Amino acid sequence: MARLLAPIVALILGLALILASDRPLPKADFTFVNHGDVSTLDLQKMSWLQDLRIGRILFEGLVRNDMLGERGTIKPAVAERWELSADHRTYTFHLRANAEWSNGEPVRAGDFIFAWRRALLPDTASDYAAQFQLIQGGREFFDWRSRRLDEFKPGDDAAGLWRQTQAKFTEMVGLSAPDDRTLIVTLRRPVPYFLDLCANAVFFPVYPPLVSQYDTVDPTTGRITSRSGWTRAETIVCDGPFTLASWRFKRDMRFVRNPHYWDPGRINFDSMNCLCIEDISAQVMAFRSGGIDFLTDVSAPYRPDLLEGRLQFDREHQRQIDEMRAQGLDQTTIERLLPPDPNHRDTVHAFHTFGTYFYSFNCLPRLLDGRENPFADPRVRRAFAMAVDKQRITDQVRRLGEHPSATLIPQGSIPGYHSPNGLRHDPVAARDLLAAAGYPGGRGLPTIQILYTRDAGHEFIAQSIKKDWEETLGASVQLAQREIKVFRNDVRSGNYMVSRGSWYGDYGDPTTFLDINRTGDGNNDRKYSSKQFDDLMAASDAETDPARRMAILEDAERIIVEQDLPILPIFRYVQLYMYDPHRLTGITSDPRQEQEVQELDLLGDGKGADKPHERPARPPGGGA
Amino acid sequence: MISLILRRLMQLPLILLVIYTLTLTLAWAIPGSPLDKPEGRQPPPEVREAMLRQYDLHSFPRFYFSYLSNALGVRYVSDSISGRAREREEKARAAGQAPPRRFVFDLGPSLQYEDWRVNDIVAASLPVSVSLGIVAVVLATLIGVGAGVVGAARPGSILDLATLSVALVGVSLPSFVVGTALLVVFPVWLGVGTVGGWGTVGKMVLPAITLALPLAAYIARLTRMGMVEHLRADFIRTARAKGASEASVLLRHALKPAFLPVLSFLGPACAMAMTGSFVVEKVFSVPGMGQHFVNAVLNKDLFLIIGVVLIYASMLVLLNLAVDVLYRWIDPRTE
Repeated sequence: MARLLAPIVALILGLALILASDRPLPKADFTFVNHGDVSTLDLQKMSWLQDLRIGRILFEGLVRNDMLGERGTIKPAVAERWELSADHRTYTFHLRANAEWSNGEPVRAGDFIFAWRRALLPDTASDYAAQFQLIQGGREFFDWRSRRLDEFKPGDDAAGLWRQTQAKFTEMVGLSAPDDRTLIVTLRRPVPYFLDLCANAVFFPVYPPLVSQYDTVDPTTGRITSRSGWTRAETIVCDGPFTLASWRFKRDMRFVRNPHYWDPGRINFDSMNCLCIEDISAQVMAFRSGGIDFLTDVSAPYRPDLLEGRLQFDREHQRQIDEMRAQGLDQTTIERLLPPDPNHRDTVHAFHTFGTYFYSFNCLPRLLDGRENPFADPRVRRAFAMAVDKQRITDQVRRLGEHPSATLIPQGSIPGYHSPNGLRHDPVAARDLLAAAGYPGGRGLPTIQILYTRDAGHEFIAQSIKKDWEETLGASVQLAQREIKVFRNDVRSGNYMVSRGSWYGDYGDPTTFLDINRTGDGNNDRKYSSKQFDDLMAASDAETDPARRMAILEDAERIIVEQDLPILPIFRYVQLYMYDPHRLTGITSDPRQEQEVQELDLLGDGKGADKPHERPARPPGGGA
Repeated sequence: MISLILRRLMQLPLILLVIYTLTLTLAWAIPGSPLDKPEGRQPPPEVREAMLRQYDLHSFPRFYFSYLSNALGVRYVSDSISGRAREREEKARAAGQAPPRRFVFDLGPSLQYEDWRVNDIVAASLPVSVSLGIVAVVLATLIGVGAGVVGAARPGSILDLATLSVALVGVSLPSFVVGTALLVVFPVWLGVGTVGGWGTVGKMVLPAITLALPLAAYIARLTRMGMVEHLRADFIRTARAKGASEASVLLRHALKPAFLPVLSFLGPACAMAMTGSFVVEKVFSVPGMGQHFVNAVLNKDLFLIIGVVLIYASMLVLLNLAVDVLYRWIDPRTE
């Protein structure tokens, strides 16, 4: 009998050992759930919204966006002030004396140059390389280095090439640091949104003595291989409001106040915990069962029902809401001033975002299999666009209160920019246009294939659109569902007719959306190419008068959404959060939806300012 | 016995090499590129090309051998001998930084989670899966054997029928249903326990029960079957005739032989509980290794796929070996 029990006893002992080695952390002042685990904390390699969100907690750049004040305001951060030259091409940033890394070292101008050089190296593979190439000489340096790496043969002097590259960078690229507290940036052309770019975490500095340890010159290819590892809690050095106390993979991240941060009054917590809950239903249940103060990016399949509860609660208080709206109060303020709901329906919050869901038309004259592509003709694309009933998609398929969209850039999201009208849903005009293009009643059209991926409800949207195209235009439509990797591959190589797509803006300027339509742009999955559009974009690059520039960009977008339609905009995304509006303050309703987690505050927790953030009241009807 | 252990251990590298070759071939054939991001901004084409070269992803044979040399420690040794490692260390010291870590058996970087080596991911998630598996197996054994004995004591009774039907439900219900039901009932409705997270015994209970239920059901049926069969045997009649109490007959005399099939099931059960908990890990947000098994394939994260498969394969071989050894130790008659 003893022998029988032995294996079980051994198992229990082993378990005890493992458990003893794994101590839970004490409760943090604030707990939130980010969307999955981040894919990297290496700033220059980031591109996901949830990575950038964490990037802003740990690091700080020259300037930052003020998401809680007047829209489009840039605030000083590591740079206490800056000047712009008369030709709008040279920025001189003056760094504050008390900006420090978490190890007490001062943040130097050279740290920015180091970080930006990483982003400009083809070796780093930054998704934002194109934004850095707005700096004078950036593109030439990138191309020079790429050529040199292509020519490199094993046996060549790799270390020598790297020394030469460093020298070439200093010589070619318009970045200089006359002293540790002055950074001079010369741009290729006036870039009105350059400060906004500097507020993006990809432009934040990294600590050179640490990061250079992880860069090695590969003797066989000559490339700099950037090894992972410096972003871990044990090693990381950062300059933001918080530092990383622990990061357990796919489990949690613990942030603690950075004692060297220059503006401690900005933060309201001593510690924050970021839980990783990947299952989209478990996230909501975790919030419901308590212990979580803020749930970002709610995407559970039953979120329309969550939102319906919220809307019902709002309807019960419609009179109060209308009164507060009339006073110009912000959405977050209104939600806080409503009475608490015993059923917690008021914990659901929906905000319009800076992202558009659209369909892409392949614009190449021929499909990859050699067949003629009907969508090469803009008239066909326009006809198909006008045949889609977007209202039905938002009302019956999505049910998230999203607005149907006729433009690529979300309407009213960029101050000073007036969106064109776009095309209306007009089945009769659509039929006529298709007939004029040589396909009366859909005769002569090949079977149209819609490419999409499995989850997130893409299939239901595709079905709704299929119905419109079949019934209105007489086309025969086939749905093609693909695994995400296959989908990306097909879309990139142009192996599709129509596919689902989406785009979120990175900075508050129309080019963040329009650039993806430039000929040859890396994100131009439609292979769209129009001289008229490219010329307008080039003209906007050269224009220094802000109002005239915006007018040019309006014309450019008009080509996309009224004339050529490489992209068929469908709706503007809504973002769902869960939090108690009477406890949590500091959530922004800004259409950019860059939540500054480091600035949130729990009311009544005895830490931080403990008073609700008030966004300045605006006259009703102004903006989204 | 020693020769058995040695023989099996010597087979292990060969098995792993075959599995590595098969896995890499299959994973290589997954359509799409591991460097593609599912949404949003894509790297420029030149950058993609550069990354492919950096990871040897442009050539199958190059990847095959460079991975092998890293994973087998050949690279580690050659770096140590050539002095490249020391050079790096000195450079780091000079800058006042800790030198980057090196692994003897380097399973490579994760292509999707760029900040982590596969070694880190395995080190972080394997203990979680193993401890969840152990709790589940212990729970399953206790519940299963208990239910089996109760059922076998009075075959055909209401108690027996009840345990049998519970076992049937346990075997048939998929764990995402059981798990979600437990989550809704306990933390959400009753406010007992929390959803998600790991680290305390309390957080382990619900996922372990979910994982244990089908195993417990199977063990209950195994135990009951064995007990019913052995209770009819001659040696039980003898024990009863000697005046042994009913409890002693059931637990000492009948359970012992009836437990042997359960024991041989425990080997694969352990392996299953420790490696096959993907669904449970997902439902309860347990940071274990099962999720990587599936996600890595969907993302075509080559290094992670191979790393996880190799770890699982070694675990299966070693656990099976452990069961065989145990079996001989408990019942020396088996050869």
